[in-house]
Amino acid sequence: MRKPGSWFETELEQRGVSRREFVEFCGVMATALALPKVFGARIAEAVLKAEKPVIVWLEFQDCAGNTESFLRATKPTVADIVLDVLSVDYHETIMAAAGHQAEDVLAKTVKEKKGAYLAVVEGSIPTGANGAYCTIGGRSALQIAREVCGGAAATIAVGTCATFGGLPAASPNPTGALGVADAVPGLKNLVNLSACPMNPENLTALVVHYLTFKDLPALDGYRRPLFAYGKSIHDNCERRAHFDAGQYVEAWGDDGHRTGYCLYKMGCKGPVTFQNCPVVRWNDGTSWPIGCGHPCIGCAEPDFWDKMTPFYRHLPTIPGFRLGTPVDKVGLWASAGVAAAFATHGLISLVQRARTGSVKDEHIPPPPPEDEPEKPGSPEKGASS
Amino acid sequence: MSTSVPFVVSESGRHYPIGPAPPEHSDLVRVYVWEWPVRLAHWGVVLSIAVLAVTGIYIGYPSITVTGPAGDHFLTGTVKVVHSYAAILFTLSVLSRLIWMFQGNHFARWDKFIPIKRRRRRGLVQALRFYLFQLRKPPGFIGHNPLAGATYTLVFGLYLVQILTGFTLYGAGANVDSHMRVFRHLIPLLGGLQTARLIHHGVMWLLIGFAIHHVYSAVLMSQIEGNATIESIFSGYKFVQKDDVIYSGYRYFDPKDIHDQHP
Repeated sequence: MRKPGSWFETELEQRGVSRREFVEFCGVMATALALPKVFGARIAEAVLKAEKPVIVWLEFQDCAGNTESFLRATKPTVADIVLDVLSVDYHETIMAAAGHQAEDVLAKTVKEKKGAYLAVVEGSIPTGANGAYCTIGGRSALQIAREVCGGAAATIAVGTCATFGGLPAASPNPTGALGVADAVPGLKNLVNLSACPMNPENLTALVVHYLTFKDLPALDGYRRPLFAYGKSIHDNCERRAHFDAGQYVEAWGDDGHRTGYCLYKMGCKGPVTFQNCPVVRWNDGTSWPIGCGHPCIGCAEPDFWDKMTPFYRHLPTIPGFRLGTPVDKVGLWASAGVAAAFATHGLISLVQRARTGSVKDEHIPPPPPEDEPEKPGSPEKGASS
Repeated sequence: MSTSVPFVVSESGRHYPIGPAPPEHSDLVRVYVWEWPVRLAHWGVVLSIAVLAVTGIYIGYPSITVTGPAGDHFLTGTVKVVHSYAAILFTLSVLSRLIWMFQGNHFARWDKFIPIKRRRRRGLVQALRFYLFQLRKPPGFIGHNPLAGATYTLVFGLYLVQILTGFTLYGAGANVDSHMRVFRHLIPLLGGLQTARLIHHGVMWLLIGFAIHHVYSAVLMSQIEGNATIESIFSGYKFVQKDDVIYSGYRYFDPKDIHDQHP
């Protein structure tokens, strides 16, 4: 199966990655993509044969957190090679070129590799003030995104800012920030990898899928790959057994917290958040938020900064009420108010009847003259007796 | 039944029996108001809402907890399962009642819920005046009075909101081969799952508030009208004053009438 000359093989050799490690990686990728085990071999073949894909990485309103996530590695792995040895022609944080030189590279890639390169977008795109809040080389983020993503074979929006607007789009959204899907509507091959930051394992798996099948994976309603976003955090959670049993952390640092009970009552958003964190974990599978005792904050979902807050409460605040006011407390008091109102009504009614006598057997006055004659035989009055 | 059984004739020409003729000395007529599907749907809704509210509050705030190995217990899991089955009963009850609005007798029909006729709109105001102590008696409608009917329209709206938010929350996490996953399409429409949860909780309290009002009003009407309102949801029959059958919807008292009658 050895075919010298493949860019990938050369990279593997240069980095001292063994064949065994490579095959293992392909098996892991098949698992991450929810494919049968036999696909490991197919992935290995495809990745070895693949042409070095060209990637341009655009950064707009972001914190470079996804770049951090993308570059983060504790040891050189095959995944690193797939990711950072892809021909990343343009990446503001890591490229050597600067200024006009860098912008020329981008323009050249967009022109010469039209329809063949992958565009990765990190950060939200501001649309307020004609896009003046984020400009690179004199052009607005929106202009760049339209041009670069419009000519790409596929666009991958990484992180919640690029997918849903994220923190910059949080209320009151002063810059009119949008995710790629909303800022550049009509992009056909757009894949969203939400979460803050996106998990590099999912980006790797997505690229491997693209190399293997020359196509994008099945997506959900938010254009996120189902292999990574098909199940809720809650359903894959290692603490799920404690939820089903009825064992919860009641306060930070209590016995349940130290035992590893379910964080549901501490405001965990696992049941309404869809990502494979519990399975893939972070930092080479070291741990993940719930694994180290913190509830999920729902960072992979749209508008998480507005809708998943308060992070340590089960439910959001009712609009118009003080932050953190629980809807059920309001509901309980409102119900008590309703009960009190009707009790009062009942008392007044009783007193009135005690004073004026029962109305049950009262004489019934004749009906008022009809100003709206009903059809003959109309059931409400036409009863024969 | 003999041919002497009184009946009402619907606009479509169907004959609805209203029970045997009352004795000569009585002013009361026995009227078959609530057919069995109406009563069944009613009690299905009562039972399911009670179970749904109790289990739902537990799911929101799992106050009862267990100790020992997690594998020995399935408390929250069981509560969730019961909640889901009660939701099925609730949905079927509501749907069957909605269908019966187009199949059932005169008193069950949809136009008793939406006051399109002028007479029912006027009755709505009269019923409201009764509740505000301006009238001694409510308008003499045999089935739902127009105010009650209009209230039930809002309540059915709340039922549908509750069903849709519940199905969305269930469908969001449902297995990939589950038909319930179609309700995922409602997630953006509802403003996200957290908002769906908030609505689901809020509407529950509105329905609890309605239940308080409903029981109170049933007792009050039963006392004021003396026509076995409470019993009718078990038996289906109401005992209605003859005039209410003949001039249904026209009975009411003005305060000045009371003055004339009780000198």
